[in-house]
Amino acid sequence: MLISVHNLVKRYGNLLALNHFHLQVERGEIVGLLGPNGSGKTTAINCILALLKYDKGEIKLFGKPMTPQAYDSKQKIGLVMQNVAVFDELRVEENIDYFCGLYIRDRARRRLLVQEAIDFVGLGDFCRFYPKKLSGGLLRRLNIACGLAHKPELLIFDEPTVGVDPQSRNSILEGIRELNRRGATVVYTSHYMEEVEQLCSRIVIMDQGKTLATGTTEELKALINQGETINVEIYMLEPEQLARIRQLPHVTRAHYAHDRLAVHYDGGEHNLLELLDYLKSQDISFSRVFSEQPTLNDVFLEITGRQLRD
Amino acid sequence: MFGHVFSYRLKCLLRNREQVFWTLLFPLLLATFFYFAFGHLTSEREKFETVKVAVIDNQAYREEVHLQQMLAALSTEGEGQMLELTVTDEAEAEKLLEEGAVAGIVTAGESVGLTVKQSGLKQSILKAVLDEYAYIVRTTAGIISENPAAARRLVKELEKRPTYTEAVSFSGVPPDTMLAYFYALIAMACLYSSFWSLQNTIDLQADLSARGARRSAAPTHKLKVVLSDTLAALTISFAEVLVLLVYLAVGLQVSFGNQVGYILLTCLAGCLVGVSFGNLIGTVIRGSEGIKRGILIGGSLTLCYLAGLMWVDMKYIIATRVPLLAYINPAALITDAFYSLYIFDSHHRFYLNIGLLCLLSALMSLLSFLRLRGERYGSI
Repeated sequence: MLISVHNLVKRYGNLLALNHFHLQVERGEIVGLLGPNGSGKTTAINCILALLKYDKGEIKLFGKPMTPQAYDSKQKIGLVMQNVAVFDELRVEENIDYFCGLYIRDRARRRLLVQEAIDFVGLGDFCRFYPKKLSGGLLRRLNIACGLAHKPELLIFDEPTVGVDPQSRNSILEGIRELNRRGATVVYTSHYMEEVEQLCSRIVIMDQGKTLATGTTEELKALINQGETINVEIYMLEPEQLARIRQLPHVTRAHYAHDRLAVHYDGGEHNLLELLDYLKSQDISFSRVFSEQPTLNDVFLEITGRQLRD
Repeated sequence: MFGHVFSYRLKCLLRNREQVFWTLLFPLLLATFFYFAFGHLTSEREKFETVKVAVIDNQAYREEVHLQQMLAALSTEGEGQMLELTVTDEAEAEKLLEEGAVAGIVTAGESVGLTVKQSGLKQSILKAVLDEYAYIVRTTAGIISENPAAARRLVKELEKRPTYTEAVSFSGVPPDTMLAYFYALIAMACLYSSFWSLQNTIDLQADLSARGARRSAAPTHKLKVVLSDTLAALTISFAEVLVLLVYLAVGLQVSFGNQVGYILLTCLAGCLVGVSFGNLIGTVIRGSEGIKRGILIGGSLTLCYLAGLMWVDMKYIIATRVPLLAYINPAALITDAFYSLYIFDSHHRFYLNIGLLCLLSALMSLLSFLRLRGERYGSI
């Protein structure tokens, strides 16, 4: 077990930021901490890194209790924070070298690692730039390079894509996958469910400092009693017709609003065909039809009664 | 590791143009301003050293031949003139004192009296002169009555006494009142070292900056990082104070005497206390970076004001009325160290100032370290 967090409690005055939080991370995993803003993801990460005091609980990294003096464990960790943590007064190359130098003493080896990190994040053309001259996306890449240049076994990404354009975001996510393929274990926090779903081998859903559910995307979706949702654009649907649709096999819910019919199923194999057959049989004209699989937002909604982005 | 952190810290600090302006260029500009704005004060202050005094022309005074001789010697026109004498009747003397035309009234009698309207440097000079006269008279009378045989030798000894103006000579260099401003300016430059160390503490603490969080998460012993950062701040600030010193000495022709080693030691101790002050504010004061900066700027300027930066007499007022404050104000200690080098032949007072500066620095560093030692933060 690379990370073992047991029964973690952290209070900010009267606010309970972590409420008996649990987390287990195995070597080689990409674990996503998913939750809305203020759900306790960053607090959990800061406690795990021994930056933050906590009221109760136990944290072990690499099998040893994590403390500010646990230099052996710290040596194996790379941190990419939500806020860009670089020095404005140092050039791109110097920033990476500085942070890498806090982990690696050997200069020759460090030079190679810095170059690898620069290549990895694609900042080769910007080595002599100061951070203020970089775009938001490039700055994020520099932030990442500073966290991973020393090739850590465990990489912790705390919302690394906030405020990043889609192109850079894809590049960052692809980079993280590549790091995982090379052997790094990754903990990734985000409130973007698409990112977590796309990237993580296991997901921990958090809210109000608690672990709500843990599992793979499929396992989490299986937790809720919901299959696919079929959406049909219809310009006229009578209430009686909607009532008949609700009685079709496997339909759990159906509602019509703004010229769109949404039909939710709890299973079944030929739902789309059956629905279209019914619409034709009733001479109901429709235009676009599309099917949606349940998302992690649906899972979150089911568990908490709130949207992930509330 | 130490060298790595130190060299990059030097780079970071030196490339911070805003800080370089305030810690290097601003003192240089202020020195130039002082030079041109107050330069004329030097000659005026020299004139002020002639203390105007009224002596009541009564029977007792006419009989005090020695007093007359002493006062006449001190008011002889020339380079060493200390007093400007007006011998007049009591009413006229009081009028002159009331109008501020004289600093005091000397009245001869059984003992020589001094009447003043206010306290100040001139009044202190008068008092010192009359005290010494009274002391000599007492001693002479005592010796003659107890051992008349020693009277001849005593007269010879007294004849050997240098003139009063020579007795207050300034360790080989001419007095210059403008120095007070420049000393306070150097003290300010030393205390501005705190800007560097404040930046260090911000970049070190996880609850103040993301850089601090990243550095705290690294496997580097915090004390090692603190020492590297502090040494970098001290190196830069000491170099800046040296630049200021060279500018004052060479560019503005300000004379600091010839004790270069001691002057450098004072600057180093001043920078050390400045760096420690920044560390203290950066670690012990709770609040945002802006609050810490505000407190630091306000604090340094207040300390410099009390040491005579904006009004040179303030240092004298503090030293006489709140002496304890003068002993715990690093700016006052720095200026006093310069004064003592300039004025006294003995280094006793200089070492006292340096010792107190080191003590203050050690105390502030200890408090900072105790705060930093709790490496986990309550909130980030």
